Amino acid sequence: MLLGLWLSACSSPSVREAGAPIRIRWQRDPETLDPLALPNPQAIEAANLLHVGLLQLNLHTGTHSPALAEKLPTRRLLGDSLSEYDYQLRPEATWDDGRPILATDVAFTLKLMRCPELPNEAAGAQIDFIKDFRLDTANPRRITLICRGQVQDYGIASGDFPVLSEAAIDSALLLRRFTLPTLRQAQPGVAKQLAALTSRYQRLDAAHHPERLGGCGPYRLVQWTTNQSLTFERKPTWWADKLPQATTVLQARAQRLRYVIMPDGASATLALRRHEIDVLTNMPATDFNKLQKSAAALRELSFYTGASYDVVYAAFNIARPALSDRYTRQALGYLFDAQALLQATQFGQGVRTVGLLAPSSPFYNDSLALLPYAPDRAAALLRQGGWRFEKGGWWRPKVAEPLHVVFRYRAEDNMYATIGLQFRAAAARLGIAVELRPTEPSSFSQTLRAGDFDMYARTFKGNPFVYNFMPLLHSQAALESNAMRFGTPATDQLLLAIACEGQAARKQRLLRQLQVVLRREAPLVPLFYLPYRLAASRQLRHLVVSGLKPNYEAAALSWATSDSLVAAR
Amino acid sequence: MISWLIYRLSRLVIATWAIASVAFMLSRLSTQQPEQVAFSRSDSIGPRGSAAVLLAGEHAMRHRLGLDVPLFYVSRRPGPPVRWQWNGTHNQYHFWLRQLLHGQFGLSYYDGQPIGPRIGAALRYTVPLMLLALLLAVSLALLLAQYMAAGTGLLRRAVLLGLLGLQALPLFALALGLLLLLANPELFNILPANDLSSEQASFGNLVAYLLLPLPSLVLSSLPELTLPLVATLRHELTQPYATAARAKGLSVRQVLRRHALPNAVLPLVVQLAGLLPNLAAGAVVVEVLFALPGMGRLMAGAAYTQDFPVLLAGVLLVAAARLLALLAADVVHYRLDPRLRAALA
Repeated sequence: MLLGLWLSACSSPSVREAGAPIRIRWQRDPETLDPLALPNPQAIEAANLLHVGLLQLNLHTGTHSPALAEKLPTRRLLGDSLSEYDYQLRPEATWDDGRPILATDVAFTLKLMRCPELPNEAAGAQIDFIKDFRLDTANPRRITLICRGQVQDYGIASGDFPVLSEAAIDSALLLRRFTLPTLRQAQPGVAKQLAALTSRYQRLDAAHHPERLGGCGPYRLVQWTTNQSLTFERKPTWWADKLPQATTVLQARAQRLRYVIMPDGASATLALRRHEIDVLTNMPATDFNKLQKSAAALRELSFYTGASYDVVYAAFNIARPALSDRYTRQALGYLFDAQALLQATQFGQGVRTVGLLAPSSPFYNDSLALLPYAPDRAAALLRQGGWRFEKGGWWRPKVAEPLHVVFRYRAEDNMYATIGLQFRAAAARLGIAVELRPTEPSSFSQTLRAGDFDMYARTFKGNPFVYNFMPLLHSQAALESNAMRFGTPATDQLLLAIACEGQAARKQRLLRQLQVVLRREAPLVPLFYLPYRLAASRQLRHLVVSGLKPNYEAAALSWATSDSLVAAR
Repeated sequence: MISWLIYRLSRLVIATWAIASVAFMLSRLSTQQPEQVAFSRSDSIGPRGSAAVLLAGEHAMRHRLGLDVPLFYVSRRPGPPVRWQWNGTHNQYHFWLRQLLHGQFGLSYYDGQPIGPRIGAALRYTVPLMLLALLLAVSLALLLAQYMAAGTGLLRRAVLLGLLGLQALPLFALALGLLLLLANPELFNILPANDLSSEQASFGNLVAYLLLPLPSLVLSSLPELTLPLVATLRHELTQPYATAARAKGLSVRQVLRRHALPNAVLPLVVQLAGLLPNLAAGAVVVEVLFALPGMGRLMAGAAYTQDFPVLLAGVLLVAAARLLALLAADVVHYRLDPRLRAALA
């Protein structure tokens, strides 16, 4: 009888009180909560609870919304190489101690992100396009950011960083003695002059005590056990509560958020079924499908899936002589059976694509057909590329070796192994030898940078609001983030034009053109957009689900009242 | 005995230092360094600095982490001709060794904080788990081995088959199987799985949540301990002293317990010392699966993020523990085996 009672207690969820923590699964520990470092998505999610930026990503609309800023910035072009963005801060915005958040705090944060000897190198590189700023002596809440270049996406990137309190970190106003250009150029002697500030920042231990930085976000960290859990508590009063109409990014309904760290997917799924967590994203495809068919699970959980903005692709090393001509690359592209791969790895969830843009994007080129699996066309294209099939392999005149491909992918993910195996089998039928090289995740990027591959499979993390493909495809990024070594003067010009274009119709024309060029030149083969899979307790309300990471808006969540649950039943 | 012990301890210290030094050198010579991890997000869209800016960022990070000073006391200048340069004590290895001698493991690359407290917190979970697993596995192995050596019935054959099956089963599969069987609402939802994060965490809670990880570790190490012990006990039963004991009227179980076991237990002591690395490796699997924040998780996370100071501290601890276990096994052997005492004397 006791066992029966225990079983029934374990299997039926009780109605959660309004103040009960909402438990969300994280796959890994955030490592640090220092807003200057933020090395992983978990740290970024936590920073969004503790701090507020000028702009913040709104998962509800899929765009950035004003947060500390009153409205989105206005852009002014200066000559042909500079642009300016004006930000006006909300008058309601205050720090926890009641002091107003001013433009000087934004200026201080920008300088702190370039201050030497702090863990800000990656963040500093990301805002390197901000050349300088101008404060308005007549308006303490107005700041103008002067940006190098005229890339359209700077409008978002210039405001997407957590703003920190100058008074809490630099009460001696040491950083005011330096201009942003001085700090950007890392002039000698600056580190020594700022030693007192850097030493104070290190003493604050922002990595574990973010509250010491005086955040202006809706939550405070109340508990953190490394590799186990983090708990955030809603501040009793938060400045955005005074706003008459707060957007999703400034809504914080959840009273308590607890992130439970569970590295293993199967064990996280069990924890969800056992009511030990309430929100689970990145669910394994098999578990998600199985639970969706379970009547017991459907009574307790809601399931959400759709296309994310992460596209899986295979790419070529164009610097290799055998892959330098587009016919060979196109031919190899026809050996990927994307539809079968989508079925095998994602149970058919997710969506195929013609390029690096999601089919839901207004800039998607629907005139292009999806790339079919066509070994016959591959053989024809190889002949067009000068290859001849002899002695069981494909040979070119004056080349000593037959066509042979080294295919790399991250060893941790079975999806890539499946892609590699399917490609190898299709290539073998055509007489092309493919050598699969699963590579240790930590050295994968370095291997690509070193050019030690013929092909690789990877996931490109996109979003619906940035169309700057220069890091991936521009020739200046070759040997860096453009591992394919792709890029011609014409494509470079096209990429720059897309990045700088502000007018939607022209941008659409340029992006459609890019998709045509990528299909023709075939530096990469887009396979499919991955799905997101999220399951959450049916007792949760205001669940904003999106294809953008982390797929949910944690602060907006709340528990249903018992009355509403009864009504729903 | 004392001088022998001092000699062995000094050898242990030297061996630990050598292992840690090799691990240190390997970590610093790895192709993937922390600044490359930090700047390798080339798989996402968005603004990035130019190649020059990224390179400057990498240099700044190397400088902040102290990785821009020479690696060792001597270094080779790029040639030809190849020339060696003396760097003095201003080198990474010297700084690391000096820290170690002061009892510090250094600072984490990620949060810039001392590693010692993090390791201490992780050990609070791992040490009880491993010690309990060791204790239970040894106790069960002693009981099972005596039972199985005493006869050859059907049940004993079934137990043997079970042990062989367990030996063939990877720990991950075993632990996952237990989890899916005993903490699954679809089957038997009778054991807690991984809600250690509960705010009402207590010692009782901790014990409750070890109910699944513990059997996983015990069952995976049980065949390794039991099967050789059964063979040794059966061999001992064929010896003349066992026959004499039986002739004097002792039952098989009495002969096993009083006479055969003390002789058969010697190889088990050596095996126990060898079991430690297996348990440490098992802790990684079990802690990942059951979401326990122990040493295994800490090491696996550090390896993933290339947080070498944390990784090095872990290697150092495991190496020291392994060598200490071997020393302890030698001491126990010495105490139990009169022939060894005579040889040493």
